[in-house]
This record gives sequence, structure tokens and C-alpha cells, in this order.
Amino acid sequence: MTNSNAKTARYAQTLIAGLWRENPVFRLLLGMCPTLAVTAAVKPALTMGCCVIFVLICSNIIVSLMRNLLKPHLRILMFTLTIATFVTIADLFLKAFVPRMSEMLGPYVPLIIVNCIIICRAEACASKNALVVSIIDAIGMGIGFTVTLCVLAAVRELLSTGKIFEVSLMPDAFVPWAAMSMPVGAFITLGLLLGLVNTVTGKKA
Amino acid sequence: MSKIKYFVQQSWLLIVASFCFGLLIAVTNAALSPTIKQNEINKRNRLVKALLPEAKDFILYEEQIEIQPFRGKTENVEIYRAVSEANECIGWSFEAVGSGFADKIKLVIALDKNFEKIAGFDVLSSNETPGFGDQIKYDYFRGQFKGAPAGELKLVTVGEPGEIDSQIVAISGATISSEAVVEIVSNYVTQVKEQMQKKGIIGNDEQ
Repeated sequence: MTNSNAKTARYAQTLIAGLWRENPVFRLLLGMCPTLAVTAAVKPALTMGCCVIFVLICSNIIVSLMRNLLKPHLRILMFTLTIATFVTIADLFLKAFVPRMSEMLGPYVPLIIVNCIIICRAEACASKNALVVSIIDAIGMGIGFTVTLCVLAAVRELLSTGKIFEVSLMPDAFVPWAAMSMPVGAFITLGLLLGLVNTVTGKKA
Repeated sequence: MSKIKYFVQQSWLLIVASFCFGLLIAVTNAALSPTIKQNEINKRNRLVKALLPEAKDFILYEEQIEIQPFRGKTENVEIYRAVSEANECIGWSFEAVGSGFADKIKLVIALDKNFEKIAGFDVLSSNETPGFGDQIKYDYFRGQFKGAPAGELKLVTVGEPGEIDSQIVAISGATISSEAVVEIVSNYVTQVKEQMQKKGIIGNDEQ
């Protein structure tokens, strides 16, 4: 009984770690390229997040299943091969079923292959843990990444267009800040949010 | 012999995994590629239909046109014939690619049936600066091409965008993007027209 309780507690902890304590963007500062590149609006950010969740779960499953067969010097090669496969599949699905979104995201979907969140989770978690923990870790990290991306995107979209999901939220007198949809807006928003998170958690630089 | 054994011992997982993953991608690709292709065709047709509203169908012309839109690069252009409900040719369209400010700009260009006037263009894909270069997608810029003569176009910085002639007024703050579009449209239209006249697909202006 205590054993299963301890297990559940561990699973819950793993899940929550990805959301806040080890949030991939705000705390680990991983995956900065998509974080900066696709957060001009909420929709592409959400799509990107879903793709990353899919790839993360699939790659963690595969890596966890073959963790005892991995040769240490060939492991990164195996991780990349696994990740590349699922990214290609995700990319094909996007092209087939949401072609407009696929165009919007452009090269950033194939670039998930080199997203360090996924390699990091394969190396730090899936290659050392059993299947269930790896899947829970992937879900936690994936959702943490997606939520962060959406927060960043919501701020940028609101300031650059005055709308979120086509719904006008700003007063009529609001003048859109075009710069917020450009790279400069991404850097400024990310910097301010990181500062905010560090203030809340009391972390010193 | 032991060398081969060592090699297999070390890499069998990699080889097996590569094979399985390759198979997985091949199956997904085979299942989805018709949909992806159809999506591309739908998009092009939707854009061209907005430029040639009377068109009902677009038929790939059997002959490909070979042109050199930019120095030293030969390209095959697939020409589509737009037909109305009465099955009459009402125009032509083709895709055109050239370098923009940040990335390649891919356009679809439509012309009337005699290649006398440009019916307009639309952007299939581009990566121009938001707020500046991406105004090439806006109606006020694209509108300048609607009805412009199918020949050399010229980019000007000052002028009346509402006036339909061979002069295209540049987007302020995005001269390179404007230049790129004008160059792509101008080069493709003149060369495709020339080739098509040579082949006798369309009538010759001079006659």
C-alpha cells in the first residue's frame, strides 16, 4: 500500500516538475529557438506546443523501451534518429490536415529535431527510467512548454494586434505595436517574463 | 571476422531502428502525400480564382515553358489554362519564384487569355518583414498589378498607386521586397509571354 502511494507521489512530482519547478523554458532555459520564433500569435504557439508534446511522448517511450540496449557512445545518435522520425511524421500530419498552420510555422516544425528539451528529456529521464515515469515526464514537460509558449504568445499577440484568437480585447484607442510581432518583441517579452518568474521564485541571477 | 562481429554487436540496434523508423515514415508519407498535394493545388486554385473570378477549372498545359527568369538559371514553368464554365480559355496562370528580402518569395501570377494584361498575383509563400515587406500581400500593393500591361514593369518611389500602368509604386520602408516582386512578375511575364508566342500557343502582338 505504502509502496503504491510512494509511486503515485513520485508520478505526481514528475508531472508537476515539468510545469513549474523544472519548467523547460522559464527554469531550464531550453528550447529557446521555437520559444522566440513561433510566439508571435497564440495559434502557432499552441500548434508548436502540441507537436512538441507528441514528439516528446513518442521519443520518451521509444528511448525508455530500448534504454537497456543503448551503447553509451551511440546513444545521442539513437536519440536524434528517434526524434527525427517523429518530427517528420508530425510535420507530414500538419501539412496534410492544417496546411495553413504548417505554412505559418515554416521551418520551425522540422527544427524540433534539434530542440534541446526533447534530447534533454531522452538523456536525463527516459534513458534512465521505466516506461510510465518517462511518459509522465514527457507529458509534464510538454504541457509546461506549451503553456509557457502560449503565455508568451498571448502577451505578444495582444500588444501587436490588440486581439487574441481574433477576439478584440483592447480599447479602440489602442495603437498596435507592430514591433511585438517581430523578433525584438520576442526577446523583450521573454526577458521580462523571465525576470518576473525569477522575482516570484526569489532566484538570484 | 571478429571485426565484423564487433561492428554488428555495436550497431545492430541502430541498423534495426533505422530500418523500422524508415518504414514508419514511408508508410505515413504514402498515406498522407495525396492529401498534401491536393492541399497545394487547392491553395493555388483558390488564389488564382480570386484573380480570375470567371474561371471554373485550371488545366495544366501539356507543354512546359523553359525560361531564364534570373541570370544563368533555367527553369521549367508549368502553365495552367483557366477555363470558364463554357469551356473557353479565359486566362493563364503559373508559379514564379525569386529572392526576396529575407527568403524566397513564391508567387502565383495570372494573366488574361491573350497575355495582354496581368490579372494579378498572389503570394504563395514568403518570409518578408512583418509590417513592412509583408505588405506585398496587401491589396493596395497587389492592386497595382491588376490590369497592368503584360510586359516590363518599373518600380517607382513616388506616384499614384491607384493608377494602372507599368509603373508600380514601392511600399515605403520595403524597397527590396517591392523590387523583388516587380522583378519576379516582370521577368516571368515577359519571358513566358515570349516563349508562348514563339510556340504559337498565344497570338503574336506584332501581327
